[in-house]
Amino acid sequence: MSLRHDLRVVRAVAAADIRLALREPLFVIIGVVIPINFLLLFLLFAISGGQAPIAVVMNDRGPLAERFVQGMDNSHSFVIHTASSADAEREIRAGSIVAVVTVPQDFDAALNARTRVDIPVEVNNLNVDFTNDIRRAVPLSITSFYADAFPEQVVVRALEADVQQHDTGYIPYLAVSIVVAGLMLASLLQGSVNAARDYELGTIKELALAPVSRLAIGLGKMLGSAALTVASALLVLGVVILLIGVHPLHPLEVLGFGLLMIAAFLALGVLAGTLVRRRQQAIPLAIASVLPLFFLSGPFGPATWLGAIPGAIAAVSPLTYAIAAFQHAFHGYQTATQDLTVDTMVLAGFALGAVALTALVYGRRGVSH
Amino acid sequence: MTETAIELIGVTKRFGSFTAVDDLSLRVERGEIFGLLGPNGSGKTTIINMISGLSRPSSGGVRVLGIDLLADPRRIRRSLGTVPQENALYEELTAEANLRFHADLFDVPRQGLDERITSLLELAQLEERRKSRVSTFSGGMKRRLALVRALLHDPELLYFDEPALGVDVQSRRALWDRILELKERGTTVLITTNYLEEANVLCDRLGIIDRGRLVALDSPSNLRRSFGDTVLEMRTRPAPAEDIVRKVRALPGVVSAIASGDSLKVTVEGGAAVTGKVVTAVVESTSLEEIQSREPSLDEVFLGLTGKELRE
Repeated sequence: MSLRHDLRVVRAVAAADIRLALREPLFVIIGVVIPINFLLLFLLFAISGGQAPIAVVMNDRGPLAERFVQGMDNSHSFVIHTASSADAEREIRAGSIVAVVTVPQDFDAALNARTRVDIPVEVNNLNVDFTNDIRRAVPLSITSFYADAFPEQVVVRALEADVQQHDTGYIPYLAVSIVVAGLMLASLLQGSVNAARDYELGTIKELALAPVSRLAIGLGKMLGSAALTVASALLVLGVVILLIGVHPLHPLEVLGFGLLMIAAFLALGVLAGTLVRRRQQAIPLAIASVLPLFFLSGPFGPATWLGAIPGAIAAVSPLTYAIAAFQHAFHGYQTATQDLTVDTMVLAGFALGAVALTALVYGRRGVSH
Repeated sequence: MTETAIELIGVTKRFGSFTAVDDLSLRVERGEIFGLLGPNGSGKTTIINMISGLSRPSSGGVRVLGIDLLADPRRIRRSLGTVPQENALYEELTAEANLRFHADLFDVPRQGLDERITSLLELAQLEERRKSRVSTFSGGMKRRLALVRALLHDPELLYFDEPALGVDVQSRRALWDRILELKERGTTVLITTNYLEEANVLCDRLGIIDRGRLVALDSPSNLRRSFGDTVLEMRTRPAPAEDIVRKVRALPGVVSAIASGDSLKVTVEGGAAVTGKVVTAVVESTSLEEIQSREPSLDEVFLGLTGKELRE
């Protein structure tokens, strides 16, 4: 046995897996449809939950009234459009908006006279999440507007000091987390499906009876899956960068951490596929593994914000370190207490461990004539 | 070079409390075609798994082509060609792609590989389908391609699992011819089969396994002879009564006598002298309508050794 032969085997196994995958409709489903759907699904979830659509009826067009509406717009709590009273009423009845805020006719005059102004707010309290958003955000907008318009009368104000150099929008933050989850999902799916295929079709015997090391076969499997996963990853990154407009500050970090992640989760995928031996079981297993880990690894904010028990789980989840590393690669800041070196070491250690475990199990496990 | 291709020395294989192979010793000589027979669950798959290095014995020793299984299983696999029952071909790849993949796995030199693939495909009459996907092949073509693949790395020992399974008569005959040609070239061939005619045609020797033990080992003709040299099948009117069967069984040289409906099947050892006495005994008691004389079949030997109950 020689290194040359091992390399020949790695290349041959990888090439065969790529050819086989490209000839199966399943590849398009697991390589394209599932990761992209995953990305879009969570983004839609974030977009729909982030800002409530409301209509503003402007019965006063004075400067203070305009400034008030501008203040509401700046609060990032609403998606605002102005409408006539009749249109706004029709929209809220149709369920296309959450609330109607009416600026009264004497708004400017009353404010200039320092008399009380009542702002009617009609809320569609069908969904308590949106309802509470409106209940919190409208009074906050009024307070902010008043402090801005009459600073001499509002003498208490918040002095903000920012930890990060720049703000990051919720969608860009979340998009990076979803990219990581998408990469994990694509890697697990490709690895597990490629490994399970040989058991399912009986071709595992051809591999198991060959005079080659399990490591060479396992590496070949991972290399083939990696090529397919990189194609999926480029697609997901393309959507994030070109369609959502989130650009990485450190592209090389995206590349490095991306490859590290793909190696780690591909190895786990091959291991899972070797154990379950059926593609039909491998696919839901991959999806079921990613979803809880995703939510427990700080996708919406740093994992340390999750609390004691979820935080402890997050601390041992490789996805936590991958998300932290990717947030740095895209936005240039640290979202976790550990630094990039720790992220790198954890991900590299996890990848090596997964590859070693997979090589140990893969190949002749339970193969029989 | 050792003259023994496969040597099992007191091999036992246990799975928990279940003993699949029980203190089995067996030698397969180089250049012979050896058939391993046994009912389902008899332990023959476990034996093959150990010979091909997919499993290790719980105790005892396995040597293949002079190499100790535990010491160097990879070297054994290099010299072993395998045609599994389900072919294990990549159906969505072409015939040629399957062969090239195998060549990579077995490190067949690239130089001369094209010519070798061509000559083997021509021998199997598959050259015209070289670029076709295996999924478009018939059962017989897949079997032949699996054999071509197993021979690509020029193995010293070929294991063929159920050669005739799922193939038509022409393909079966072609496969048998290829196997016999291999023997002529000095390749050792180990087959497992449930098709006893196949074992009879191909094998120099047969080993019959039952409940993990070797219950018979000899050439097909010797095995048949050990079960008596002649089988008489008679039809009588009226049907043979119990006293006739008892009378026949009591005759010297009668191995067995079984009545079923109006038929009586008698296996004898001792040739014409014994068969004459059997016929005389029968016609003294009943009217003989029809009689046939033949050699015992392997099926009868097999059932005689392993019983008739169904195995799972």
